[in-house]
Amino acid sequence: MPHEVIMPALGMAQETGLILAWRKAPGDAVKIGDVLMEVETDKAAMEVEAQAEGYLADIRAREGENVPVGNVIAVIADEPGAVAAREEATPADAPSDEQPPAQQDGNEVIMPALGMAQDTGLLVAWHKQPGDAVAADDVLLEVETDKSVMEVQAGHEGYVAELRAEAGENVPVGDVIAVISAEKPEVPVKRNTSKKKDAKPEQQVTPASPKNPETSRPAPKRAASQPPTGDRILASPKAKRLAAERGLDLARLATDGHRQPYHVADLDRLSAVPAQPSTATANAFDHVEARVDRSGYDAFRLWLAGESQIDDLAVWSAFAIATLRAAIQSESRRMVAQAHRPLRRQSVRFCDPDLSGLSAIEASQDDLAPDLILRDLTGSAVTKAHFGAPAVPAISISDSNGTFEIILEFPAGMLEPETALAIVHEMAARLEEPLRHLL
Amino acid sequence: MAPKKKTNTEDYLQMYRQMVRIRAFEDNANQLYLSAKMPGLTHMYSGQEAVAVGICEALEDTDKITSTHRGHGHCVAKGAEFKEMFCELLGKAEGYCRGKGGSMHIADQSHGNLGANAIVGGSMGIATGAAFSAKRLGTKDVAVCFFGDGATAQGLWYEVMNMAALWSLPVIYACENNGYSEYTKTEEIAAGSLTARAQAFGIEAHSVDGQDVLAVNELAQKLVARARKGEGPFFIELKTYRYHGHHVGDINRDYYRSKDEEAEWKITRDPIVNFGKWLEAEGVLSADELVAINDEIKADAKAAVDYALDAAYPPTGEVDMHVFAGVDHALSYV
Amino acid sequence: MSREITLSKAVNEAIAEEMRRDPAIFLIGEDVAEAGTPFKVLSGLVEEFGPDRIIDTPISEPGFMGIAVGAAMTGSRPIVDLMFGDFLFLVMDQLCNQAAKTHYMSGGKLQVPLVLRTNLGATRRSAAQHSQSLHALVAHIPGLKVALPSSAYEAKGLLKTAIRDDNPVVIFEDKLMYNDKAPVPEEEYLIPFGEAAVLREGHEITLVATSSMVQVALKAADLLDRDGISAEVIDPRTIVPLDEETILSSVRKTSRAIVIDEGHQNFGITGEIASRISEKAFYHLDAPVVRMGAMDVPVPFSPALEDLTVPTPETVAENARLSVRGELFHAA
Repeated sequence: MPHEVIMPALGMAQETGLILAWRKAPGDAVKIGDVLMEVETDKAAMEVEAQAEGYLADIRAREGENVPVGNVIAVIADEPGAVAAREEATPADAPSDEQPPAQQDGNEVIMPALGMAQDTGLLVAWHKQPGDAVAADDVLLEVETDKSVMEVQAGHEGYVAELRAEAGENVPVGDVIAVISAEKPEVPVKRNTSKKKDAKPEQQVTPASPKNPETSRPAPKRAASQPPTGDRILASPKAKRLAAERGLDLARLATDGHRQPYHVADLDRLSAVPAQPSTATANAFDHVEARVDRSGYDAFRLWLAGESQIDDLAVWSAFAIATLRAAIQSESRRMVAQAHRPLRRQSVRFCDPDLSGLSAIEASQDDLAPDLILRDLTGSAVTKAHFGAPAVPAISISDSNGTFEIILEFPAGMLEPETALAIVHEMAARLEEPLRHLL
Repeated sequence: MAPKKKTNTEDYLQMYRQMVRIRAFEDNANQLYLSAKMPGLTHMYSGQEAVAVGICEALEDTDKITSTHRGHGHCVAKGAEFKEMFCELLGKAEGYCRGKGGSMHIADQSHGNLGANAIVGGSMGIATGAAFSAKRLGTKDVAVCFFGDGATAQGLWYEVMNMAALWSLPVIYACENNGYSEYTKTEEIAAGSLTARAQAFGIEAHSVDGQDVLAVNELAQKLVARARKGEGPFFIELKTYRYHGHHVGDINRDYYRSKDEEAEWKITRDPIVNFGKWLEAEGVLSADELVAINDEIKADAKAAVDYALDAAYPPTGEVDMHVFAGVDHALSYV
Repeated sequence: MSREITLSKAVNEAIAEEMRRDPAIFLIGEDVAEAGTPFKVLSGLVEEFGPDRIIDTPISEPGFMGIAVGAAMTGSRPIVDLMFGDFLFLVMDQLCNQAAKTHYMSGGKLQVPLVLRTNLGATRRSAAQHSQSLHALVAHIPGLKVALPSSAYEAKGLLKTAIRDDNPVVIFEDKLMYNDKAPVPEEEYLIPFGEAAVLREGHEITLVATSSMVQVALKAADLLDRDGISAEVIDPRTIVPLDEETILSSVRKTSRAIVIDEGHQNFGITGEIASRISEKAFYHLDAPVVRMGAMDVPVPFSPALEDLTVPTPETVAENARLSVRGELFHAA
């Protein structure tokens, strides 16, 4: 049975071997222990002995070639006649399709394994540049490994055709870092292929090797720079988490002048800090005012009172909802007014008050969100009060010197100006001449 | 070579087979490393077979040994099988240590091998402790501590020899002097004589030709029997030779050892060849029978290698198993 | 029935009870027999068990440690007495390369059931080579369990558990506490590994303290109580395995933690526990987790200097006040 001669692993951490010379020629008889070839590894030449008896045939790697460990480089056949036709195909200028497709033809220089357990070597400096002529014992580069810097010789005579790694780069052992060609190259190349694994010649990765070539690749450079942190708020992780859960903005403590960092105890303080407009419009409100003589309403009320008890809050809520409903053209929807008499601590809710008779309006006990707030400030000196932006339109009615003053307030942008003006105009008109409401 | 009667034919055959098995194992291990099929590196026992076999053939199955980084030979000699050994070498689940030990910690624990040890001299305490246990628990077991000449430079040896002598422990310190302490000649690292060091503790010391399996075995038989009776401890210096470098990658070694010297030992002192010749001359085995044994063992080894190459790696979930006895997975425990 | 006995007596009882129970147990070390160790912890044992089980050795720490490892692998259950924790450096190969790894390297086939008893603690005016607290060294090595008893009660219960464990266990006694008494039941009890003790409940800050520092933390909690600060005190009892859940759930409640241990602060136990809190209870933290270990200097001889190197109730309480007030702020 023919015996395959493989490139042996001779050094401590060796991935390829350089064939210096064949000591047997194809067709020669060999015995176990005969020196077959000389291989260079760990910077020393070693003789490799035949492990089988027979006739050397089919030499697959030529002198000067760097062969990955484990590759078949020759066959020892049982018969002398087995000298393969391959012999013809392996002269000094072997066809290039037997080689991994190098970008430049020539001898490949690999990152050598120099240390005890070295996965990568740091390329400190190139001593030759692309196009330079080199002798085999010229120093080609400096490599740092195991904390010491070593000079690495070219190993081949010729010209630097290609440099594939840059100074400062950590290159996995066994990766091709340069190519030395016999002829002066027309276009010497300097490039870095470390980020394009597929572009470099196939490298023998032995399955037994625990090394992962991917993990030993240099880390990609960091993105240009970190974005500046800006006005970061310093707070404990728990304070930040609770603030987020409760919808509190820790930045308000900073604008309020409290010293950082913030802890959970500061969250109570934050709840006490008044909300501040964080944009020009968020907390802004619009308002519209009107004044009318109240004698018309008073007469109407006297007339109505002859028939039943009259509550101004109910009547005005009916007027207000009716005007709002008309202004926003919401005929069918249920509308709720929350009516206050703040100075008497009265608060009552009416649902669709405009759809009942004025003397039959009943308070609603349902917990309904109001569409409108109505404040009765009459009978006091207060004519105007502002409590920040209401959530819904609010109509305040005060009186002085026989005149009703009507103020509509609403969050900025909630109502169109025309709509707001229409509401106030109509409200004023109904108070001036309540019969309008009945029409 | 001491002349022997043919009454011991079975023993001779066993010793020959075991030496050939060690050589076959190492040849295959070397090839696995050279062809980059074996992770890590390994230290070859080839050339020293008569030491492990001569001593282990004098031991009972329950007797204990401790081994070294150059431990494949002791492992085979103490009764291990090729298949589980190659699996361990390749880090496979069926290895003796489920792939967690590898070449430097290989052992078939069920035959009294307390483990190969990657710390030079690291097992001297363990072997002495095994002898201590045997004596205290009355098991009558004997412990053999294999170590190299390099390990005689470790202080631990002198501490445990002292106690072993004080307490008459059934331990035999077997120093395989292969002439080299890693990459250095032994005479450059060892002052005086090794036997004298043991004798300084009042320990009976012997020196024997470690290439002569019969001489080793004869001495071991006597000392093991005496140790079992409570006459230990003993020291044996076994003069031997390692054919390979310190480890498989130690190829370029002209600077500390000449090729002529290596050739001389291989040609004239090979323990297997010489024992084979003796068996032939004594009429125990014919030349054909010897070849048949060699071929059969080679085929066994090759089959075991093929099996191990195809065998499964341990599942990744085993990575945190066997950290603590009684704890399935250490990471969820600590 | 409970009575008060010294930590020394508790250790002695634990060993005697276990040796009566299991003939595979022996004790080996320097001056352990008639001398009963320099601290007289083992007095009386050789009289009961004889010199075959209470074994005096030459002053050869690596030697008897190695012998114990081999004996443990072959049917014995040795208790190794290492006179001072500082001598751990002498036995490191046998303990960390051999004992700790044997079970793993053999794929689970071999076991090393041994106990290494030693001690820790400064302020005995013994200077740099007899005062160290080196438990972090061994806690770093997978395969070793590490117990740190903080009282006579813990010393007995943990040591009995250690002796019954099938793994190498290193147990450190506080050499300043050998004469301190604590209630210890007459009846047999074991303290399981990996179960922390909550020694005092509180809701504003968690003090995690080991061994010699447990009493320091309890005294600090008293000081804090006077200031109206409620501190919870937790003793992990074993650091390998570590009862992470008890510590984390306490910190989730209090939002603040200080870890106190007598080993050197840098790269030590305090850093490990603080880091687990920071990793696993981060969003519950309202203050940085504080480490308080021994000062990172060799232990000095002069009392004027030595006392500066170890956390005290006052320094712990002061850090706790800063933490609760939100005044701990180290960031630049």
